[in-house]
Amino acid sequence: MAANNPLGIDLDHYEWGFRDPEKYVFKARKGLDREIVEMISSMKGEPEWMRAFRLHSLEHFLRRPLPTWGADLTQIDFNDIYYYLKPTDGKGHTWEDVPEGIKRTFDRLGIPEAEKKYLAGVGAQYESESVYHNLKEEWEKLGVIFLDTDSALREHPDIVREYLGTVVPPEDNKMAALNSAVWSGGSFIYVPAGVSVDIPLQAYFRINAERAGQFERTMIICEPGSYVHYIEGCTAPVYTTDLLHSAVVEIIVKEGARCRYTTIQNWSTNTYNLVTKRAVAYRDATMEWVDGNIGSKITMKYPSVYMVEPGAKAEVLSLVFAGKGQSQDPGAKVIHAAPHTQSTVVSKSIAKDGGRAGYRGLVKVYPGAVGSKCAVRCDALILDDRSRSDTYPSMEVDEMDASITHEATVSKVSDEQLFYLMSRGIRADEAMNMIVRGFIEPVVKELPLEYAVELNRLIAMEMEGSVG
Amino acid sequence: MASGSPGAACVTRETVQALSTRMREPDWVRARRAAAWDAFEQLPMPLVTHPEKWRRTELGDLDPGAFCLPNGTGDTAQPRFIGTIAREAGERAGLVTHLDGSLAARELTAAAARQGVLLSDIATAVREHPDLVRDHLMTTVAMPDEHRFRALHAALWTGGTFLYVPKGAEVVLPIVSQTWLGVQGCALFPHTLLIAEEGSSVTLVELFASTGDGGRTLSSGAVELILRAGARVQYAAVQEWGLSMWEVGSLIRAHLARDASLRSLVVALGGGLVKVDVESQLRGPGASSEMLGVYFGTGGQQVNFHTLQEHRAPSTSSDLLYRGAVKDTARAVFSGLIRVDPGAQKTNAFQANRNLILSRGARSDSIPMLEIMADDLRCTHGSATSHLDDEQVFYLMSRGISRKRAAFMIVEGFFADIFDRIPRERVRSYLRARVAEKLI
Repeated sequence: MAANNPLGIDLDHYEWGFRDPEKYVFKARKGLDREIVEMISSMKGEPEWMRAFRLHSLEHFLRRPLPTWGADLTQIDFNDIYYYLKPTDGKGHTWEDVPEGIKRTFDRLGIPEAEKKYLAGVGAQYESESVYHNLKEEWEKLGVIFLDTDSALREHPDIVREYLGTVVPPEDNKMAALNSAVWSGGSFIYVPAGVSVDIPLQAYFRINAERAGQFERTMIICEPGSYVHYIEGCTAPVYTTDLLHSAVVEIIVKEGARCRYTTIQNWSTNTYNLVTKRAVAYRDATMEWVDGNIGSKITMKYPSVYMVEPGAKAEVLSLVFAGKGQSQDPGAKVIHAAPHTQSTVVSKSIAKDGGRAGYRGLVKVYPGAVGSKCAVRCDALILDDRSRSDTYPSMEVDEMDASITHEATVSKVSDEQLFYLMSRGIRADEAMNMIVRGFIEPVVKELPLEYAVELNRLIAMEMEGSVG
Repeated sequence: MASGSPGAACVTRETVQALSTRMREPDWVRARRAAAWDAFEQLPMPLVTHPEKWRRTELGDLDPGAFCLPNGTGDTAQPRFIGTIAREAGERAGLVTHLDGSLAARELTAAAARQGVLLSDIATAVREHPDLVRDHLMTTVAMPDEHRFRALHAALWTGGTFLYVPKGAEVVLPIVSQTWLGVQGCALFPHTLLIAEEGSSVTLVELFASTGDGGRTLSSGAVELILRAGARVQYAAVQEWGLSMWEVGSLIRAHLARDASLRSLVVALGGGLVKVDVESQLRGPGASSEMLGVYFGTGGQQVNFHTLQEHRAPSTSSDLLYRGAVKDTARAVFSGLIRVDPGAQKTNAFQANRNLILSRGARSDSIPMLEIMADDLRCTHGSATSHLDDEQVFYLMSRGISRKRAAFMIVEGFFADIFDRIPRERVRSYLRARVAEKLI
């Protein structure tokens, strides 16, 4: 079973809610203050500039109020969270080096198996630290770097310093400030000019401890003419208390390069998932976000692309499923800051069992971004009368020579559609599944086959019992 | 003449009391005005209470308390449109004219009066039909404490039209209400209250205008439309304020009972800054609301429309279409929300916003929103923002049409699908002519 399970998704309901006994090399006390931040920095043996960056970010975090829009975040007690948990000393370069207990976890999730079969490289993060990172030799030889961000800071400090915080500055928002203060782990990817990594790199993120926070920081730098596809998956145990996941992802796509970033987010439904993801696309570069949100209690995440030079392109595909107790508030931002930039946003949301799913987005066209084109399409399915669907797009057009469209529909699965399929001898629940699969098809077809299969199975599982 | 100029606090608690005394208002009106004034004094500016809705509006240092009420009458040179839309007495069922915040004239045809239709300004209605006014004026539809400008409106309303259509009455010809402000640097708070009883039908056309440039003038109006079961109302508000007018925080809100139907049209052509909420609450099954809007900002005009289609009952429908153009350095903001409350099954809601940007430097924001809490429904919205299509211009020019004329034809075509839905030819041709003038 596990071998076919790159996403940690199974037909049984949230199989990945299991937990390991807590065995940590180091577990910081709960809460957040200057002392904790300094301690994280010194344990990691960081250079002085990074320590200053963290402390500056902490100050901003403490000053900044919670956002008043979007999902309700007032229940988060920032002083009741463990900000740093170090599970192990050192990091494995082969799976055998990973401590037994942790390895078992990733075995159950099927990560080592997936690496062998169809990935160019794999990273695995457990709590605050990366426990495994490996890149197949052929890519290493071409100069591709795939490390956890802490190692990258040690081994390539100049690159990290050059780009860190340039796409998402700590002052961007409260959660970005928090991440900047206490970040640990995450993936660092550097693709040299002209190198095309044609099979995906994957990182897997796992939270285990109760009241834990995970704050990975991911950076991807695509030099001119390069290509990379990065996939991340995530799970966590089910606790009665809440977990907090707040990542920052910064991506630089240089001239003519293309980067695709796929997320399959399947956090347990007690996880706050508050993530800042942003890319800058230069001349003729392409940035693609494929963002699947299935798990979590609350997700607020708006993958963004700043198109800053002519010919840049952006594509955001968002798929969201909100079940019982979930409030999914994903979206997209596309910023047209240069002439002849193009973007497409497709959002598909499904709400069921009292869940709340939606889309929140921004299309911004700056003066001078002549010939910009943007099309946004949001479709929502509501499967029962207790659920809710919200659409909040904003279009700000400050340039005459631009063409911006937005369309959205909200509907239920129509009786006619069901009847048609059933008249062909298909059972009601299967018919429902087929219709939902067709609904999400535009997003799912963009995933690698193994992931598409898993995602379809996951949706089928979430759909169970939806035909009465 | 104007009793003062903006700057110092011109309106005070005493102003409110003096207004009540001058109008010889009963105690309940006095008490309500006083309570609203308290709310005004306590409420911060709406950017604080409703940041999302107000952050795109550049109010600068606007101080709503710094405007005096018009005292006496000013420039009586009325704008062309007063009298244009329903020129002949035989074309209208009634007419109310407000000059500088007070009633100047009213007429109602004998046929309408026989049906029991009541038409006056609100101040007169307070004296003649106190119960009707008392039960409805800012008690169920619009609330004084919604935000600071609304509180100020509730404390200082003057002028505005009261129209009551009894059960089953059918008024075929339109009733026209016109509001003219000829004084610079003061504030106007017109209030319209329309009650259409069960099965009645009526058309109300409201025209607003003010004198041209000069010291800044403030208007904050409210229109309450109450449609009882099966009532059919057509409502149009056409505004051609002078450029010194800032219309801030105005509201047009309708309550629709079972099977009621409303067709509304809002046209904004004038004003330096215009910010209006247009809302329909569908409160009974079978209610339906059509909401049309046209705005055209030129020069440095700011135009903001916030619309709400609120489906509170099952089997209701709403259809909204707002079309706006911006030219020069004008800025338009359209934000529209469809909200479907739990249990409002079989809702059919549609919302479309189209924007045309005619100059470099003009800006247009569009925010079409959905909040859906029922499942058996159909809701769609669409928004598109574009510019004059070069190919269309070229096509027309290749037929020997001048560039200017071609641009006009395309803009006219852009607004055509709203103009075509206006049943009165006189209103249609008037709007076409005004759009052409603004385009030059």
